[in-house]
Amino acid sequence: MRSSTAALACLVSVTSAARFILHIPNTPLVNPSSFPSTTHATLQSTGAPLDAYITRSNSFNFHNVSVGSYLATIHSRDYVFEPLRIDVTLEEEVEGSGHQREKVHAWQTFIGNEWDNKGETRGEGGNGLVIDVQPRAPKQYYQERAGFSPVSFLKNPMILMGLFTLIMVFGMPYLMENMDPETKAEFEEMQKKGVMGSGSTQTAQQIQNFDLASWMAGKTETPTRGQSPAPQSQGKKRG
Amino acid sequence: MAKLSAVLALVAFLAPATAVFEDEAFHIDFHYALLGRPKQEATFFQKPYAASKASLLYTVSENGTIGAVNPRDGALVWRSAPGASGRAHLRAGEEQDTVISAVEDRIAAWSASDGRLVWHSRLDNAIAEDLEILEQEDGISTTDAKDAIVLVGHGTNGVKRIDGKSGHVKWTFEDTSGDTPFQVSSSPTTIYYISLHAPLLGGGSKLRVTSLSPITGKKLDSYTLGSEGDVQTKDDILFAGANTAAPVLAWTDKAHKVLKVNIIGTKGVSSFNAPSSEPVDSIVLHAPKKVNSLPHFLVEYRTATGHSAEVYHVDLKKNAVSQAYALPPLQGKGTFATSTSDANVYFTRITSDEVTVVSSVSHSVLGQWLVKGSPALAGAYPVHGVSEVVVKGNSASAVRSAALFSNGQWALIRNNEIAWARPEFLAGTVSAVWVQLPEEESLAHQLEEEHHQDVVSAYIHRVQRHLRDLQHLPAWLQNLPNRILGSVAGKSDESTMEEIQHDTFGFHKLVIAATNKGRLSALDVGSKGRIVWSIDLHQFAPDATFINPSLKAFRGFVEVKDSSLPRSLFVNSTSGRQLSSEEAHGQWVPSQDHETLITYKLSEGTLEGFLGTGSAQPVWNFTPPLGERAISYFARPAKDPVASIGKVLGDRRVLYKYLNPNLVLVAAVAEAGHRASVYLLDSASGQLLHTASHYGVDISRPIPSTLSENWFTYSFTLDSSSSNSSRGYQLVVSELYESPLPDDRGPLGASANSSTVQPRGEAAKPHVISQSFQIPEEISHMTVTQTRQGITSRELIVTLPSSNSIVGIPRGVIDPRRPVGRDATAQEQSEGLVKYAPMIIFDPKWHLNHKYELIGIKDVITSESGLESTSLVFAYGMDIFGTRVAPSFAFDVLGKGFNKVQMLLTVAALFVGVLFVAPLVRRKQINTLWTVPQ
Repeated sequence: MRSSTAALACLVSVTSAARFILHIPNTPLVNPSSFPSTTHATLQSTGAPLDAYITRSNSFNFHNVSVGSYLATIHSRDYVFEPLRIDVTLEEEVEGSGHQREKVHAWQTFIGNEWDNKGETRGEGGNGLVIDVQPRAPKQYYQERAGFSPVSFLKNPMILMGLFTLIMVFGMPYLMENMDPETKAEFEEMQKKGVMGSGSTQTAQQIQNFDLASWMAGKTETPTRGQSPAPQSQGKKRG
Repeated sequence: MAKLSAVLALVAFLAPATAVFEDEAFHIDFHYALLGRPKQEATFFQKPYAASKASLLYTVSENGTIGAVNPRDGALVWRSAPGASGRAHLRAGEEQDTVISAVEDRIAAWSASDGRLVWHSRLDNAIAEDLEILEQEDGISTTDAKDAIVLVGHGTNGVKRIDGKSGHVKWTFEDTSGDTPFQVSSSPTTIYYISLHAPLLGGGSKLRVTSLSPITGKKLDSYTLGSEGDVQTKDDILFAGANTAAPVLAWTDKAHKVLKVNIIGTKGVSSFNAPSSEPVDSIVLHAPKKVNSLPHFLVEYRTATGHSAEVYHVDLKKNAVSQAYALPPLQGKGTFATSTSDANVYFTRITSDEVTVVSSVSHSVLGQWLVKGSPALAGAYPVHGVSEVVVKGNSASAVRSAALFSNGQWALIRNNEIAWARPEFLAGTVSAVWVQLPEEESLAHQLEEEHHQDVVSAYIHRVQRHLRDLQHLPAWLQNLPNRILGSVAGKSDESTMEEIQHDTFGFHKLVIAATNKGRLSALDVGSKGRIVWSIDLHQFAPDATFINPSLKAFRGFVEVKDSSLPRSLFVNSTSGRQLSSEEAHGQWVPSQDHETLITYKLSEGTLEGFLGTGSAQPVWNFTPPLGERAISYFARPAKDPVASIGKVLGDRRVLYKYLNPNLVLVAAVAEAGHRASVYLLDSASGQLLHTASHYGVDISRPIPSTLSENWFTYSFTLDSSSSNSSRGYQLVVSELYESPLPDDRGPLGASANSSTVQPRGEAAKPHVISQSFQIPEEISHMTVTQTRQGITSRELIVTLPSSNSIVGIPRGVIDPRRPVGRDATAQEQSEGLVKYAPMIIFDPKWHLNHKYELIGIKDVITSESGLESTSLVFAYGMDIFGTRVAPSFAFDVLGKGFNKVQMLLTVAALFVGVLFVAPLVRRKQINTLWTVPQ
């Protein structure tokens, strides 16, 4: 398809040239009249691209576009537009009449895809065709700074841990007092055995002895390397 | 080190792309939206639409840019893209909402208030020589869109009347006589076409005036004026009155002694003698541009030391010109501007220290203001200007004049003050370099001095230096509360920004920029591009006409080279003073790692390498294969610090980078097959290290490339006529490694010494990994950010001319090791690699320029700052833009996001908490001591 249009481009005389208009419609979301005057559209084929600046009627007028297949891009400071493929061809008006006229056909196209991989048709017709182009999304240039909010503050794991500890420190004595004597005794027995205490000590020990260098080097942790946990827990029990 | 950089790289990639923060935009960056030097005849005040209260200042510049500037603050309202050349004209009809321009062969009407295109048309094989608005139709002003009269030359000569609504040609008058078209002028009833008629037998030219009917374009009359003795070319004519009630045609003889004036439409020529006290250098004629103004005009005589003026009146009934009065000669240079109010005509005399307003009727001074000087205009004089005058009764109550000064500043003088000044001369910047700031340099110099002395004198020197520093202490202490308050309140402390002494972060770096007109200026990038000094290079080389000066920075001075200069000029980079070449050589300190040994030259498709700057004979040359010609090259910069010699993989193995300081990347193109090839050379040995070819490339478009560390990148446009399966623009990135295998250093790994001059053959060549990406826009220039140690990940900075922007592409996005066709494994993810996608869409957040629109950027230069995280960026060309980027985020400095108040509050809250908790803890400790364990 593409090579055939290229061949056509070589065959036809340079005088045949199409004209068409890319137009940005006014929608409730986007008011194209507010676009800066530097908004422009380019048609790229070979050599320097054809360039058209935005007019007062929110359109880009292309005159004298010779036969070929063009990549149309609209450059705007404020909005992103979809790229278009616009083919200008010569077709016989009536079959066999020999009288040729220009035909313009526009499709969606996709960056990073094959050129023959066309999307939806965006317009088709003879000279003076008006192709509507829609802005896709506003350009967001700025990065938002994460501002301070109490919710995000509370979501912080450090704060959550701190709050939990606070509750434990202040809430535990009351809880213990309100427990019935049997459960209390059972609980104290459990504490003596060191189910809760020693377990956490070991984790703390591990964190303290964490070898950043060996972790960075990707060495797997071997239990023999650190101090053996057994005497540690014994010592704890004695206290 | 490797781990650190790996972690940093990881951090950089895991985080979203670095973007400009909203509170930093417009603070850390600056932008000069320039037009270029305005042209005298096409600069005017005009209301953007009939009912508008305020007027805008319209101009077309020497590079063909049409623009509107707000006269209140000098801000640009709108501008067109630069034209093909400075052959541009701009006119506006009275009470119109459009301005009409003619640049080369393009005629266009622009919406006066916002710069939108109204219509545009092109002339076939011709160039517009002049443009006028037809103000009146049969003596009656129309309220519709007024038509334009265009004089066409350089091809088919003639006059065209163009419809003001649509841009269609209403009629064409063709001039086949072979005369040189000069100007058109219109009176209410007739259009006059003035041309230069060169007689066959040589000698001077006759002025031919042809009158045309405005309605049909038919020739009504034609006559010639005997000006053979005086007029040779168009430049010899002083003035051809445009659109005035009594259009005049004025010329002078070679010696500027006699002024000859003709009222267009009559054949009589009046002669006036110029003041004979001093030889007159040039004569300028100023006449009002409004149709219904009084037919008065002013003739300005410029001499070598001063200027004077005479005012003439035209008697319409008698068709006679007479001198009304003369303005006294003044020493020093100055200029005049005309303004009208109803039918009255006022002349404003603008000199560097005074503005005077006189009426055209009498020589009494209506208003006089002594202008307060401005540092931007120091030592400069006005070259030309336009003005607006408010006259109440018999005195001028206010005047504002926009004048172009001799130093290239376009300034507005409002009564007695300089309201604004636009550095329009910077629009022609062709070369720019980074230099170190004076403070740093003097300290470095002092330390060096101490270094070279013996211990005792060095100690004394040091104590003296510290004592000298003490004198800054009171001022520093005085300023301290303000600084602390300012930093806690989070206000931008502009006052301290000004003070370069407090520049702890190294953001205040000077850029020295040279313009095509031979001006050299220094800009402080950290202080929003403040011009520190600006000089005219012609004062050092009076005979030179600068074409394309190039700069090279050395410590403390810059070297200026130009094809018109017999020898290089050396200029002190902090003061702008000239240094003799001996002084420069005395100051020059050869530093080991910041100098390149090889210089390159591209001639006729061959790249030549020279040893040093002085040698004439190339050491080696590189000729691409037959049919190809080298079009550009890029050598690895001398200062390109690399933090790590390897790249740590996800499994903790290391890929060793191929690091060679002598890399040169050459781009070559061939017509056959539309081929573009890149060649990677070793400039020390001339050995070819790597080559890649691409077919179906549009070789008429630029192929920008850059090279840094162990990677290079280039971009090209795909050609439509080739059998490509895709279209658009491509970016190719390649990385060089010593070996394809991790933990392997290739054949050089085991050897203790190696030399690039004695290459070891194929095996020693780098292993190259490449990936190419489709990009949505053409790239015109690319460069890489620079940081002090090279630890921070780099960012590729590309210039996109079609969207007027500069984009920083994070290095992780263009990593050629991105896995293709599958998702990244966990190990690859830990390296920061993501699945390959064939296209890169430029995220708006990558745009360094955010809302600014940068037009005509030719080059972008980067420099390290005092902080490892931050690189300084400066872009020049037509616009000037500067900013700073932190590709891995500002990890070594607190940003504006750090809330100091909140931090203080937290500390206070913690302190209060401690006060409450302390007694509790103490009681508990005592209780544990005294209670008996059960």
